[in-house]
Amino acid sequence: MKRKRSHNLNNLLLFLVIALFVPLIFGSNQYNILLITTVLIYGVMATSWNIIGGLAGQLDLASFAYLGLGAFTSSTLFIRFNLTPWIGMILGGLVAVAFALFIGFPLFRFRIRGVWYALTTTALVEVLKVVFNMWEEVGGPVERYLPYFSGSIKYMRFGSYIPYYYLILGMLVIALLVNSRIAHSKLGFYLKALGEDETAAEVLGVNARACKLRALVYYAFLIGVTGAIYSNIYGYVHPSFFNGPESIKVAILGIVGGRGITYGPLLAALLLVGAQEFLRASLGGEVSGLYLVIYSVILILVVLFKPRGIATFFQDRNKKPAKQEVKKKNVV
Amino acid sequence: MLSEQILKTSKLTKRFGNLIAVNQVDIEIKKEEIIGLIGPNGAGKTTFFNLITGLEAPDEGQVIFKGTNITAMSPHTICKLGMSRTFQVAKSFTEMSVEDAIRVGAYNRRGEEEVQNKVDWVLKFFELEDIRDFKCSDLGLSSLRKVEVARAAATEPELLLLDEVGAGLTATELLKLMSELKRLNQETKITLCIVEHVMQMVMGLCERIFVLDAGELIAKGIPSEISNNQRVIEAYLGRGRYSEPSSTG
Repeated sequence: MKRKRSHNLNNLLLFLVIALFVPLIFGSNQYNILLITTVLIYGVMATSWNIIGGLAGQLDLASFAYLGLGAFTSSTLFIRFNLTPWIGMILGGLVAVAFALFIGFPLFRFRIRGVWYALTTTALVEVLKVVFNMWEEVGGPVERYLPYFSGSIKYMRFGSYIPYYYLILGMLVIALLVNSRIAHSKLGFYLKALGEDETAAEVLGVNARACKLRALVYYAFLIGVTGAIYSNIYGYVHPSFFNGPESIKVAILGIVGGRGITYGPLLAALLLVGAQEFLRASLGGEVSGLYLVIYSVILILVVLFKPRGIATFFQDRNKKPAKQEVKKKNVV
Repeated sequence: MLSEQILKTSKLTKRFGNLIAVNQVDIEIKKEEIIGLIGPNGAGKTTFFNLITGLEAPDEGQVIFKGTNITAMSPHTICKLGMSRTFQVAKSFTEMSVEDAIRVGAYNRRGEEEVQNKVDWVLKFFELEDIRDFKCSDLGLSSLRKVEVARAAATEPELLLLDEVGAGLTATELLKLMSELKRLNQETKITLCIVEHVMQMVMGLCERIFVLDAGELIAKGIPSEISNNQRVIEAYLGRGRYSEPSSTG
């Protein structure tokens, strides 16, 4: 297991080195940087989703609820009280956590799981969207633009997308490290166990409700903070940040990438969202909607040939000799 | 020490609508015993286990474990107190390796530093070292049952409830499991309570036996008493010619 971890760490370092140089290559075109940042935002969200959806096996479809809460908290504090988003993003994460606890406590208390958990969390995004549409003091149907100070580091207003890219990259590294740390700890084993069979886990001493709540807290905090950065990148907040279909997409990325595999969701985000954004940018003008067709074909291929996730493609290759051994032993 | 009580139920009752699954059952189990719990299908054995381990709440009665009333407690709290169980239909962690499944149990009493030692010990004790990296979904029935027992034993319980661990095993597998359970009982002083249909296993392993029929406790005693008990024979084979030899001559 130790060796596997250091192997993963090497992969992470390799990824980081490449990612650090991306702005040097594409830096001349701000639009490209924004596209790549968007891909990484999905990477952060899917990686965070992996804690509750991959490890704990809860089909959570509310990721953009926490993103929106983080965005609105930080932006409102910025617009109304001139509070710097550097503090606002932490508060945004905390508000997302508070909301997650408020929702998670009754959900897990009454053992809502499976499809019912998925339906409840989907509804959550829509409910928040309506609430923020009506709540004129904070949201309302009109976009609220953040104050613009050109090149102000103090207020996270950079005037270029490159610093935002590095901020999101930082969030991604944090999300990956949190994921990997949880996966190799007591909480991770408990989450995996209750994801497979909650009753069996409970008689082995797993407090299912407490473990699921802790997973939800990590997930909500990471996405809440990302939400605050998200609103700064785009420079405004709007109730459409509570985006149901995109929340489902985050879950799809987590599943397609490989549930419970630390770097799986990131891989899926790079591949699928990357392909989608690239195709939309390159084909969008000529054949509108074609990018969706190609995106779907990639999705179907993955589900057909790698149902346990894209990441298993690399795992299986590393493990091939071991698998043959398994077969031999079974015959004996 | 030997006569000290570990578990006691008094007037334990569970109803499902009009059906009384468990009816006013009083049993007591002493430390380090191996207890058998038998009865025909639908006698309420599994429900009785569910009541004791906190998976279902009884309608009446109490469960006392090591002097503590655990009647309304949650399964994980009861496990922390020192009771674990296996399931009739194996509830395995299919995507986890054997080692990881056992680790889940071992975390019950061990911190991050000690947990690996405990896992290694359990793997060795149950002779699972060769298959420690296998995924549970790749295992055959007998290994799967063994992993379930090992997983529960890794929580370091004082009382371990086994729900039909012998079902579906071949005669040799059964003998091997029996000797392992015996060894577990002797070496770790774990009290065992076994629900079983395989009579060979119950009679060979258990020191005392409780018999349930239609939710009621109809007999208790040592194996030889039970196998000659008239009510037990009736419960299994039915009342009829067999039990009324005098009237027909």
